[in-house]
Amino acid sequence: MHIPLLNNSRSRSIWRLLFLPFLFWLPGQLAAHPSPNTLIFLDVSPKKVMMEVQIPIPELELAFKPGLSKEPEKLLERWEPQLREYLLAHIHAYNQKSRPWGITIEKLSLSHGKYPDSNISYQEVTAWVNLLPQTGDDTRNFYLDYDVIMHQVINHAALVSVRSDWENGGMEQNKEEVQAITWDLQNNIIPPMQVNLQKGNWWTGFVSMVKLGMHHISVGTDHLMFLLVLLLPATLRVNKGKWDGFGGTRNSLFGLLKIVTAFTIGHSVTLLLGAIGWVKLPTQPIEILIAFSILVSAVHALRPLFPGKEMFIAAGFGLVHGLAFASILTNLHLDAGSTALSILGFNMGIELMQLFVVAITVPWLIILSKKTIYTPVRITGAIFASLAAIVWIIQRI
Amino acid sequence: MKRKQMVLLISIVSASLIATTISCKKKSDSDSSTSTYASTDCSSLSGVAKIVCLANNFLSTLSSAQQSQVVIALTLANAKRWSNLPCGLSCRNGILFSALTDAQKAAALALIQVASGTVSNEGYEEFQTIRAADDYLGLSNSGYSSGNYVIAFLGTPGTTGKWMLQFGGHHYAQNITYNNSVVTSITPLHEAVEPNGSFTVNGTTYTSPLATELAAMRDMLSTCTSSELSSAKISGTFSDCLMVPGSTTNTFPSTKQGIKVSSLSSAAQTKVMTAIAAWVNDVDPTTAASYLTTYQNELANTYVCYAANSSGTSGSASSFFTTNTDYVRIDGPSVWIEFVCQNGVVISNQIHYHTVMRDHNRDYIGL
Repeated sequence: MHIPLLNNSRSRSIWRLLFLPFLFWLPGQLAAHPSPNTLIFLDVSPKKVMMEVQIPIPELELAFKPGLSKEPEKLLERWEPQLREYLLAHIHAYNQKSRPWGITIEKLSLSHGKYPDSNISYQEVTAWVNLLPQTGDDTRNFYLDYDVIMHQVINHAALVSVRSDWENGGMEQNKEEVQAITWDLQNNIIPPMQVNLQKGNWWTGFVSMVKLGMHHISVGTDHLMFLLVLLLPATLRVNKGKWDGFGGTRNSLFGLLKIVTAFTIGHSVTLLLGAIGWVKLPTQPIEILIAFSILVSAVHALRPLFPGKEMFIAAGFGLVHGLAFASILTNLHLDAGSTALSILGFNMGIELMQLFVVAITVPWLIILSKKTIYTPVRITGAIFASLAAIVWIIQRI
Repeated sequence: MKRKQMVLLISIVSASLIATTISCKKKSDSDSSTSTYASTDCSSLSGVAKIVCLANNFLSTLSSAQQSQVVIALTLANAKRWSNLPCGLSCRNGILFSALTDAQKAAALALIQVASGTVSNEGYEEFQTIRAADDYLGLSNSGYSSGNYVIAFLGTPGTTGKWMLQFGGHHYAQNITYNNSVVTSITPLHEAVEPNGSFTVNGTTYTSPLATELAAMRDMLSTCTSSELSSAKISGTFSDCLMVPGSTTNTFPSTKQGIKVSSLSSAAQTKVMTAIAAWVNDVDPTTAASYLTTYQNELANTYVCYAANSSGTSGSASSFFTTNTDYVRIDGPSVWIEFVCQNGVVISNQIHYHTVMRDHNRDYIGL
């Protein structure tokens, strides 16, 4: 069987919030056992399907090994090889039954699920499973033959949803209908579930990544603020360690261009390295560094710290911002071909949005910075950004 | 000409203003009136007429905004909106008890008392004890409360026409359909309780509200001989009832499993009826008697099956229903009852009981 995943803790909890209420209004009412169900999330890309399976241990113990929930934290330590074997025996996928897909289990980990509504937690084991189609098989139309737990526990169900669908442009919180794998009591079988997605294509996937990149910048206040604050003094010249008047249109444009280009080069490098998986850093320090980068550039906007060297700062912190962009892409668990196109598309989206922001702000910067009113504008902006940055740093530590 | 147009315009504008004022006034009039329902003395009435009278009395205590919350459309979607989760109104219809004044709550309970009957430890008493059990859980976990129970009318209560009475909460769900003063459905009915056994809350000690149901199921199985038990045993594990609300497995199995009641000893057959009665007695006595007759007539073609209960022994009632997943089912041409032991959710070191009664032919009847 297959497993999709989201290992970023923030996106995971958001997903849960979105997903649980969603269950309750589904036609056919899929949710609502006090005994917890298995949740399956699919990330579909052209060459593979990733499946994240969240398996409640109180139910797993009824089918796999009794007594697991007495010491759930020791489950993997004691039984990991057996659990892998068990899962592989109960997870199958195919287009045609005679040509079963390859199934590999990438990772098993322990976490907590919550009973709907009462919010009381139970332990669960999460399995990340790769479904690898036979050559020529379509990942958009296949059968998932899954009976983990259910082969034994008749009332158990696995609720399956497509979390991301690369070719169809549904990269975030795809609202495909949730389907349940469960006993068909009329016929006394657990029928394989047919996953049948609307036709998508590479172009749609690519365009969706461009949109995701644009969206990310437009809602990613921190990236935007960093760039804006860095541009704030870029039209000014330095006099005795202080910002002075307008530095001339030509100089200003040239300075702005250098800063934006340097930032782009910086974040493109790490986006590429991060998305391919060559560089992996935990999310938290990156987020803190991003907030720190805003603080530094805000102070620089108050008093020149590194006049004339803005482009190096932009490039350096660009590297940091790129790592944050990369984590968005790695969470989508795409195959290699889709990943390359995604990096390109996503980066283009980021650039487009950046260009848009630069295009609407730079004329104003040039016009305003010729006037005396610019000093209070710059100082207010810089102080506001510093405060925001400090709050973010505190929140993210 | 120009003047004429001005006059016309002014009159149109003032007419619309007046019309708006009047319609707004009318609207606010109806908002402030308590109801079109009148409170009457129902004591001389009986049967469904009394239930309808008490339903209208309850409505007469409510504001019109509350009334429109309680009286909703009789549709299949609304009828299916019941639950066995502590999810309050997010998964149920109607109004929360916690939103009612004492007088309004008393009127609601007066109705429920007549609709659910007064057999000891069944019906109204059972409903109230299950609510108290949620208060008990609320002592250790917020989100559980007797105020978190609801009441709703699908359709307008009346002695003619069809309407449905829903009341329940976390561990209780009753759905009774009245059609031209006849009760045409008493299911789905969900009853469960955590904690296990007796408990004390707010200074009152309660007997387990499912004591009768537990004893009846234990009696039924322990009265069976060892060979009857082995025919009744089914494989597979049940961590919950199959026919819980909103279940993914919400289709009755096409094949009845276990042992046919007609092949049991007459002593055991009687115990099956006693077990069925432990659920049917949760409605008014006239209706209960009528349903018991129906289920008695279908008894020979009813099946009993059970799962787990590995310690269960013929002749020993207390050896049954001791452990998580111990399960039993009564499946007849009409009646369907499931009873299962689950590990506690709030009190994790003890089991608790989940049950459901359904009817193959009468659930959501006519919807």
